[in-house]
Amino acid sequence: MDSQNKFMPQDYIPIMIQSFIVLGFVLTTMIMTHLLGPLRKSKAKLENFECGIEGMGNARSPFSVKYFLIAILFVLFDVEVIFMYPWAVNFRDLGANGFLDMLLFLGLLLLGFIYIVFKGALKWDNS
Amino acid sequence: MRLEDFLLMRHELLLTLIAIIILIAEIFTDDFKKQGIRPLSIILMAIVTIVGFLPAPTGTLFGGMYQATDMRLMMKNILNIGALIVFIQSASWLKSDDNQNKVSEFFLLLISTLIGMNFMISSGDFLMFYLGLELATIPIAALAAYDRYSNKSSEAGIKLILISALSSGILLYGISMIYGTVGSVYFDKVSVAYGATPLQIMSFIFFFTGMAFKISIVPFHLWTADVYEGAPVNVTSYLSVVSKGAAVFIFSIMLVTVFQNIAAMWKDVMWITAAITMTLGNLFAMRQNNLKRFLAFSSISQAGFIMLGIIGGSELGMAAVVYYILVYIFSNLGAFGVIAAISNASGGKENMSDYDGLYKTNPALSLTLTLALFSLAGIPPVAGFFGKFFLFTAVAEKGYWWLLTIAVLNTIISLYYYLLPVKAMFINKAETSIAYFKSDGWTKVGLIICVAGMVIVGFASVIFEYIRTLSFGL
Amino acid sequence: MTGNQLMFAIFGMLIIIFSILTVTSRRILRSAVFLLFVLVSTAGLYFMLNYQFLAAVQLTVYAGGIVVLIIFSILLTSHISEKFEVVGMKKQIFSGLAAIAGIILTISTILQTEFKATEVAAKEVDMEAIGLSLLNYGENGFVLPFEVISILLLAAMIAAIVIAKKGKTQKP
Repeated sequence: MDSQNKFMPQDYIPIMIQSFIVLGFVLTTMIMTHLLGPLRKSKAKLENFECGIEGMGNARSPFSVKYFLIAILFVLFDVEVIFMYPWAVNFRDLGANGFLDMLLFLGLLLLGFIYIVFKGALKWDNS
Repeated sequence: MRLEDFLLMRHELLLTLIAIIILIAEIFTDDFKKQGIRPLSIILMAIVTIVGFLPAPTGTLFGGMYQATDMRLMMKNILNIGALIVFIQSASWLKSDDNQNKVSEFFLLLISTLIGMNFMISSGDFLMFYLGLELATIPIAALAAYDRYSNKSSEAGIKLILISALSSGILLYGISMIYGTVGSVYFDKVSVAYGATPLQIMSFIFFFTGMAFKISIVPFHLWTADVYEGAPVNVTSYLSVVSKGAAVFIFSIMLVTVFQNIAAMWKDVMWITAAITMTLGNLFAMRQNNLKRFLAFSSISQAGFIMLGIIGGSELGMAAVVYYILVYIFSNLGAFGVIAAISNASGGKENMSDYDGLYKTNPALSLTLTLALFSLAGIPPVAGFFGKFFLFTAVAEKGYWWLLTIAVLNTIISLYYYLLPVKAMFINKAETSIAYFKSDGWTKVGLIICVAGMVIVGFASVIFEYIRTLSFGL
Repeated sequence: MTGNQLMFAIFGMLIIIFSILTVTSRRILRSAVFLLFVLVSTAGLYFMLNYQFLAAVQLTVYAGGIVVLIIFSILLTSHISEKFEVVGMKKQIFSGLAAIAGIILTISTILQTEFKATEVAAKEVDMEAIGLSLLNYGENGFVLPFEVISILLLAAMIAAIVIAKKGKTQKP
């Protein structure tokens, strides 16, 4: 266990204290508003807007697949960046060989990126 | 890395190279020149397949993480042949208007799964094995949903990705237990240290369950029929032949190497599942009317037969498995090729009753389908008979008489339903049978290769003898 | 009970509670949020193991990326405000029994096993060690999986395009 002494769980005690305070604050506020606030439920009070045209339908309607495409591409490149980090830290030690490995890795993904751009996946409007 | 090391990995590297070539061709050509991508991909794949057979050194790389032995190279070559036939067969389907703007994607995804399968077969540790397995399954799910405007195709895609995620999870849980008890993920270290403690047996059960999903062994077969029916025919044929073949290959290698210490245990597990798989697959296949579902259940029962060869654990058994997969590639792809051709020409007719009187209108296709079904059933003149014969010999050699009896009974049952489409084509009378149509060159080439394979592989005993010299057992 | 055990107990409880909530909630969007809590608690376990890199990856990729992806795909499908149907009593009982039997079998088997501790002293997994073994060609090096992952990511990109991108030939 000696070698692990560098970071002990005790080091996280401040974080734990903070999370308890945050959690406690949220819970107390929620409970207190319920207890202290007046309870009035009428139709007019539950409306989104007091005046104007009445709200129609549900706010959560299905939306374009483009958001999803962007999100999935974001995750893919996110993963890619994660692999770059350990390499960048050791850039000197790994030398030319490591650079070539990374070049191969990035080259394939760059090709994929060019493909995506040419396919117009990042274009927002189709016109 | 020395230059010779690249030669060891030539299957994977060449496939990656042609994937890059196709991708560049897709990016930098205009719509008119894109017509050339189909023939280009097929020719490149043919070159890779041929180069794969050239003699080359064997050895291990990356500290045992990558292993190239003669047997594994043979397995990769067989998969390459299967993929090549699928490429050729899908050429005319890809020409249709719906698919024209995603032709290269079809080839790219198939090649990437093939790369994954090759890495999986060459893997020397569980990490590469798992990575190869994922690379071999994830793109296939996108291909199953290839037909974008068909609900069934999307359903097939989502079912495939869900079931492969579930089975991968179970598999990984098993692998993590193996690592926990052994302390290494390298096959050679695991095989030495593996014992029969309760946790190790359970880890094997988890591992087996994960693989059983991939090979679709009963009771983990429920996804098969839906996915096979929903996916486009050419994807289904790839899924049922090449994907399944790759999983069987690596599984048969791992059982006799990594899990050799618990051979008595896995033989029992396999015995029971093989018997159930053959029987249930057959019973369900009899009731199908849609030909894709029919072939799905038939492929389940074929998986049961293939397991017979693994159960023996002898080098004859492994040779029989590899040989049978080779035969299975030709016969099943022959059957799927005919179904794809008819489905494309007739606007999606895939039911058995649609095939009534097909012999009168399309004799060549009917004869090809008949030959393929005979081969699947194991009727003597074609290669399927020899394949089944060797599998049965491998079981009989080790004295599994009950299992052999069940297998023979199942073969007889399967004769019945394999002959149902044949009866529909030759004997049933129909008022409006599918009209005569002329298949284009690619389809013809694909079917000719299949027929030639079914006949030649059966009669050229050299092939089996050669595979036998490469194989190894417990 | 040491601090370590206490932390483990807290994270374990959080993971179990939120996992159960994820699969039992009848609103799919809430399930996704509960899943987020499960993933964050798992990151906490990694922090406990002193594996900062994996914990950071867990937070950025899973809690950051995957959950957003899941929420997007939920919003893509319609009928979002619908609640799931209540599962029949019979199904609930049988699947519950199956799950409990599986848990008992697995846990009892794991508890029976004595895991061998390695003689090698515990190594601190810092970024340099990860980087060096990531691009190492020898045994316990991961350069091959690393390169294969780039093929996997490329295939995933192409697959995403095949599924999500509308074709150009959408003529009336």
